[in-house]
Amino acid sequence: MIVLGIETTCDETAAAVVQRSDEGRGKILSNIVLSQTSEHAAFGGVVPEIAARAHVEALDHVIAKAMSDAGLGFADIDGVAAASGPGLIGGVIVGLTTAKAIALVSEKPLIAVNHLEAHALTARLTDGTPFPYCLFLASGGHTQIVAVRGIGDYTRLGTTLDDAIGEAFDKTAKLLGLGYPGGPQVEKEAEGGDATRFTLPRPMQGRPDAMFSLSGLKTALRLEAEKIAPLTDQDVKDLCASFQQAVVDVVADRLRTGLRMFREKFGTPTSLVAAGGVAANQALRKVLHRLALEAGTVLVAPPPALCTDNGAMIAWAGAERLALGLVDTLETPPRARWPLQDVKPHAVPPPAILPRRD
Amino acid sequence: MRVLAIDTALEACSAAVLDTELGRMIAGESIPLVRGHAEALMPLIARVMSEAQIEFAQVDRIAVTVGPGSFTGMRVGIAAARGLALASGRPAVGLSTLACYAAPYIAADDTAPVVAAIDARHEHVYLQVFGAGGRTMISPRLAPLREAMKAATAPGVRLVGSAAEQIMALWSEGTPEPTAVDARRAPAIDWVARLGAAVGEGQPVPKPLYLRAPDAQPQDAARLPRR
Repeated sequence: MIVLGIETTCDETAAAVVQRSDEGRGKILSNIVLSQTSEHAAFGGVVPEIAARAHVEALDHVIAKAMSDAGLGFADIDGVAAASGPGLIGGVIVGLTTAKAIALVSEKPLIAVNHLEAHALTARLTDGTPFPYCLFLASGGHTQIVAVRGIGDYTRLGTTLDDAIGEAFDKTAKLLGLGYPGGPQVEKEAEGGDATRFTLPRPMQGRPDAMFSLSGLKTALRLEAEKIAPLTDQDVKDLCASFQQAVVDVVADRLRTGLRMFREKFGTPTSLVAAGGVAANQALRKVLHRLALEAGTVLVAPPPALCTDNGAMIAWAGAERLALGLVDTLETPPRARWPLQDVKPHAVPPPAILPRRD
Repeated sequence: MRVLAIDTALEACSAAVLDTELGRMIAGESIPLVRGHAEALMPLIARVMSEAQIEFAQVDRIAVTVGPGSFTGMRVGIAAARGLALASGRPAVGLSTLACYAAPYIAADDTAPVVAAIDARHEHVYLQVFGAGGRTMISPRLAPLREAMKAATAPGVRLVGSAAEQIMALWSEGTPEPTAVDARRAPAIDWVARLGAAVGEGQPVPKPLYLRAPDAQPQDAARLPRR
């Protein structure tokens, strides 16, 4: 089964073609990602209207490239999947509408994929990870610990009360004048810094649930930085190192609690799966590895290009759903909010297909 | 030539098929709609194509309104048209909502001017003025309501567009009124199709005509001073 996947929920315009064998093995036939980073850089974050404008200009070209890289025509695919939320609504509308148009013309089923579900299932594409597993998703927009027990069977164990982890990195970078996106910049500066120089809080540490809160940490960092401004290069390095260490400590504590909750409810997970752009941070990867071993399981971390937003994960999630006969209609709404636990494995009537003239 | 026309840029969700050889619309549907174009459009196109009893392979051209209008609405229409074009291999052409509003009036009498004005909120309109022969006198632009009103005081003007009533509300006594005032909430879909059939080959792909920059300011305020 071959599925085209479209991703436009944030600042990447992406499309990919993925094949799923009957045994459930995945193969990426093409994967095109057009990043809008430079268009948002001056604003220190993603501007929704600028993102929407960029998606509508670029998406059909990106899809055409994904199809030609795969060496396929629309007649050769079995379904069209699009990320239908959650995300910036302007972009979601462009991606979902384009997918509907292709589905209508080529008479293929439409699969409306939850963006978070696609992140959650990526490990099955890259590593064939069996259910149940514990997902740690951390990106600029999302921070979630999720029990993944099957397609459409997701239990959220923890999330953030305020900022996402990636957002906290971006805001730190912005404060320190490090450019956008901030995660890789903060990580680079932290390498040469003293993580013990500034005393920063570890919000939520020790709480019995697996919830996160990052906004207090961000504020504490700003107050420490303001005390000593103007900042030297070493100040910036030390601030980054202290901040990153605080995030690592918070993740260790919160995820340890999340893994304990997982075991109590569902038994030992087959693995701890990392997803989202933040999973590319090496300091965090180290602690995730340790946590997995502590919990008697292994860490599965897909390559960074499949951890950040991409079309292959949407195509794969679409293929997994299509294999179960889960398809969507042309009326399917784009969704700005769409919590993962609201994704159900229910079947809906097949999409409207034009009557053929004999 | 068969043209599939699409309009979601303003307060309607519409599609129609024009057959120029038969000289008439062979299918069409238009529903008043302020929000929800992304849900309504594709099933509506499916119904229109079914009513027309043709397949996408038999469509020669896809015509779509590119604005000015609702940013979200025009992106729904353009994404749909470009997606249909990609999958069917048929070209898509873009038409301005202002031109589609003016077209029937220019077609009826091209000696007198047409003022097309679309509500752009905050006392502004998206404005275009057409003179004799349908030539553009004022190019599509964001303009204060007052300026649109002034343009509409020229003799014999036909005033059309979603801002027509707002403009007429500014009218002072004694000023000659337009010969026609048409405040329809969206252009007629059959005129989108007719204009779509009329444009030449080799058009650029449809792109949104925003006439307004994104509302965003570069942010350096949060940044701390460096030594």
